[in-house]
Amino acid sequence: MATEEKKTKKKFSRRKFLQRGAIIFGGTVVAVIASKGPIRRFLAQKAENMDFPLLVSTQEPSFWFEVLPDNTILYKSTKLEMGQGIFTGLAMLAAEELEVSLEQIKVVHANTANGVEDSLGTGGSNTTLSLFKPIREVAATLREMLKAQAAKQWGVPVAGIKVENGIMTSGNHKATYYEISTSTKEWKTPETPALKPSSAFKYVGKDVKRIDLKPKVTGQPIFGIDQTFPDMLYAVMLQSPYIGGTLKKLNTQEAAKVSGVVKIVEDNELVAVVAKNRYAAEMGLQKIEAEWDVPKKWQQAEFEALTTVGLGTDVRIQSEGSPESLLEEAPNQIFKQEYRTPLATHAHMEPHGAVAHVEKDKATMYVGTQASTLFRSTIAKAIEVETEQLNIETTYAGGSFGRRIDSKHSEKVARIAKIVGKPVHVFNTRTQEFQNAIYRPQTHHVLAAKIGKNGTIEAITHNQATPDQVLGAIPANIGYTLLGADFVSAGHGASILYNIEHKSATLWQNKLPVHTGIWRSVGMFPNTFAIESFINELAHKTGKDPLKMRLELLAGNEQINQRYKKVLETLAEKSGWNQPKAAGIGRGIAIGNDRKSIAAAVIEVAIVDNQIRVKKVTQVLDAGLAINPEGIRMQVEGATMMGITAALYEGLTIKDGQITATNFHEYPMAKLSDTPEIEVIILEGHAEPYGVGEPPLAPVAPAIAAAVFDLTGKNLRTLPLKLS
Amino acid sequence: MEINFNINGKTAKVDVDPAMPLLWVVRDELNLKATKFGCGAALCGACTLHIDGEAYRSCSIPVSFAAGKKVTTLEGLSESEDKLHPIQQAWMEENVPQCGYCQPGFMMAAANFLEKNPNPTEEDIKTNITNICRCGTQPRIIKAIKRAAQLSQTATL
Repeated sequence: MATEEKKTKKKFSRRKFLQRGAIIFGGTVVAVIASKGPIRRFLAQKAENMDFPLLVSTQEPSFWFEVLPDNTILYKSTKLEMGQGIFTGLAMLAAEELEVSLEQIKVVHANTANGVEDSLGTGGSNTTLSLFKPIREVAATLREMLKAQAAKQWGVPVAGIKVENGIMTSGNHKATYYEISTSTKEWKTPETPALKPSSAFKYVGKDVKRIDLKPKVTGQPIFGIDQTFPDMLYAVMLQSPYIGGTLKKLNTQEAAKVSGVVKIVEDNELVAVVAKNRYAAEMGLQKIEAEWDVPKKWQQAEFEALTTVGLGTDVRIQSEGSPESLLEEAPNQIFKQEYRTPLATHAHMEPHGAVAHVEKDKATMYVGTQASTLFRSTIAKAIEVETEQLNIETTYAGGSFGRRIDSKHSEKVARIAKIVGKPVHVFNTRTQEFQNAIYRPQTHHVLAAKIGKNGTIEAITHNQATPDQVLGAIPANIGYTLLGADFVSAGHGASILYNIEHKSATLWQNKLPVHTGIWRSVGMFPNTFAIESFINELAHKTGKDPLKMRLELLAGNEQINQRYKKVLETLAEKSGWNQPKAAGIGRGIAIGNDRKSIAAAVIEVAIVDNQIRVKKVTQVLDAGLAINPEGIRMQVEGATMMGITAALYEGLTIKDGQITATNFHEYPMAKLSDTPEIEVIILEGHAEPYGVGEPPLAPVAPAIAAAVFDLTGKNLRTLPLKLS
Repeated sequence: MEINFNINGKTAKVDVDPAMPLLWVVRDELNLKATKFGCGAALCGACTLHIDGEAYRSCSIPVSFAAGKKVTTLEGLSESEDKLHPIQQAWMEENVPQCGYCQPGFMMAAANFLEKNPNPTEEDIKTNITNICRCGTQPRIIKAIKRAAQLSQTATL
C-alpha cells in the first residue's frame, strides 16, 4: 500500500484541495468539486439530534479519485479501514455512479500530503451515512465530465453516450475513461448531476465480499507495524506501571550496555530504549531501573467508588412529567436496582504504535489512525514542524474500536524519531497496552420505577455516573462549559425511550485518575445493559413476558416505534421466543437504539461447570438501507462476539496502584470455544444507511444476563457476569 | 551468533542473539511481515508459524531452536499467490477477515491442525484452535476450517 501511494503522488496546488473533492486526470487537477452541502446538512442534522460522538467537525471529508492508465479508478480514502469494511462499502457506492465494475476500483488510504482532509475522522458508525450521498455526487460528476468531453470530441450528444465498465460508446465511437481523461487539459466542472434512483443500483443491496480479502489472506504488509524505512531503528518506551505515576529516579546505565542498544532517549517524561532490533530494545527496557512517584496507590474498591451516582456534577438530559415526585410519594410502589460496568480497554490485536522519520524540513509517519487530520496538527506541534511539513501515511489498522483517535502515543513516537534523527519503529508491549491505555470508563447506574396498579410502569428514572469519553479532549473544556456533561458519548443511550409518561435521565460526571475515552458503541454499551436489564427485571416483577412488555411500552405513535415493533416481532418469530426451550437453556432479550439503528437480540445460555455458556444468538438489526448485507452480517457477528467477551470476561481491576492485567491471560477474550450459533436478520427501515459497527454490541450483555436469570433465577447486575 | 535454517524453501542465514524470538527474526531480519506480534507471551497466537511441520507461537521460541530446521510462514504456505493453500481459499470463500491482523496466525494454526485432523468435528476445531481475534471473526473461522477440510479432501481425491 505504501509503495502504491508513493507512485501515485502527484504535484498539485494544495490550496485548491482543502475541503473539496478532487478529480485527477494524468496527474493534473482538473476539477474541484465542493461537496460541502450534503456534509453540512448531515452535520447540522446530527448536531440537532446530538447524536454524534465527535464534536470537532469544522471541515468536511474530501474525495480523491484518479483515473489510472489501466482504466481503473483509484480512490484515496480519508476513512480508516480498521476491520469494519469501509473500503468495500465506499467502493460499492463509487462504482454505482462511475459505471465501472467493483473490480475496477482500487481503494487506498489517503495520506495527508495529498491535501485531502477529514477532521471528522473515522468513528461513531458515521462513515457510510455521512458519505452516502457526497461520494456518489463526486463520482457522478467525474462520469459526466468524461462523457461531456467524449461528446465534444465525437460531435455527438452527451445523452447518447453509454457507459459500461468505464468504457464509453456512442455509435461507432468508443473510448475508455483513461483515454478521454488524457485527451485534454481543459475541463469544466458541471453542476452536480442527479443521482441514480435506488431501483437502478447495481451493487448497493447485494452481498459483496471484502475488497481487501486477498492482501489479508496472503499476509501482505499493510499494517502500521509492518512499515519500514531503510536504516530503521526500533524503540520501546518506558511507561509508568502505576496509575498517575511520574518518574522519580532513573538509571539507564545497564540498559545502555545491552548488545544492540544504540541510544537511550531521555527527554523530560519521555524515556525510550532505541536499538537495532525490537528484541534488543525490549531487553534494554527490562534493564532500566526506574522509581516512580505515585500520588496514590489505588485499590479496586476505592477506585470503583469514584464512579458513583451522587458524586460530581449532574446534568439532567431527559425530563418528562414529574417522575421524581411520583417516586417520592409512593415509596411502597418503588422498584429500584443498581448496575455497574467495569473499566475496560480496547485490546485490539495490533498494539499501539507508529513508524516515524523526522528529517530537517520534513517528517513522515506511518500510523493506523482514526483521525489523520487531527494527528497531523498535534504531532507537528509536538516535533515543532509546520503542519504542511508532516505527512501522515495512514495504514490499515489491526483493530481499533475507538482507541486510535488519540494522538498522544504517536506524538511521543515522533519526538523519539526527532531526537534519534533516524527512522524509528515504536510499538507498545502488550503489558503497556493494558497498563498505559485509554480506558472504557466504568459506570454506575441507579434505576427506579413506580409500579402502578395492574403492573403499569407509571414513572422511571435513570441516574448514570461515568467519567467522560470525549469532552476532556475538547480544547479549554468548551464541551463542559457548553454541555455540562458528555451526553453525546458517555451518556449516549442513557435516556429512556419507552413510552412511560413520567421519565428522566441524569448524568453524574465523575473524574477518574486514568484517561478514559471512546470504546465501540460508547455509552450505548453500559446504558443498554442497565436499562434493558432493569426492564427485564420489571417484566418479571409485574409478571409480564419481557418481549410483550416492550411492545406494550412502544404503544406511542412515532415512526421509530413502528421500526421497533417490526424488529421485536421479527425477533420473536426468528428466535422462537414463543416456542418451548430445550432443557437446561435460559433465554433472554434486549433491544437498543443507536445511531438511528435498532438492534435487538434473543440469547440462549446454558450453565456448564458453573460457567455461563452462550449457545445461540438471534440478532435483528434495522440499520436503514443495507448497502452490503454481507458486510453488515460480519459486523453483527463481530459485535456479538465482542459483546460476549464484554458480558462474560472483560474488566480491568486495580491493586496497589496498578492495573493488574499484564496480558491476555489476565484479560481473557472469547475464543472459538465461546462461539454460539449466530443468526443475523437484517431489516431495512429507511432509504438512508445508518450505523452498523456499534449498535449490535449493546443488546448482547443484557440479553445474556436475562437468559441467566431465566435459567437460574439469579439477577446479575455487574459486568462481567459471574455466577459466584 | 550465526544461525542457519530453511525459511519457506530458501536458506536463511542470520547473525543475531540466539535468544532473540524467532518472530522478530522472521519479521525484521528476513522481512516477512505476515507473522504478527500480538502479546509476546504465546497467549494470542498471532505469531503462529510452522517449524518442521509443527505449529509454534514464534514470539516465545528463540531463533536458536530453528537452527537447521524448516520454518514455514504464511508467505510460504501456498505455492503461489494464484494457487492459494486450501486454508487461504476457504478464508476467501467464507469472507473471514475483518481487520485481518490475527488471521495469518489463525490460518497457520488451522493449516497445521487440518494436517493432523483432516476431518474434524466442530467441537475438535473449537477446542484445538485457541488463538485470539478481537473483531469477532470466530464464527467464520470455524466455517472456513470446515470448508478447508472439504477442499483438501477434494484436492487429494
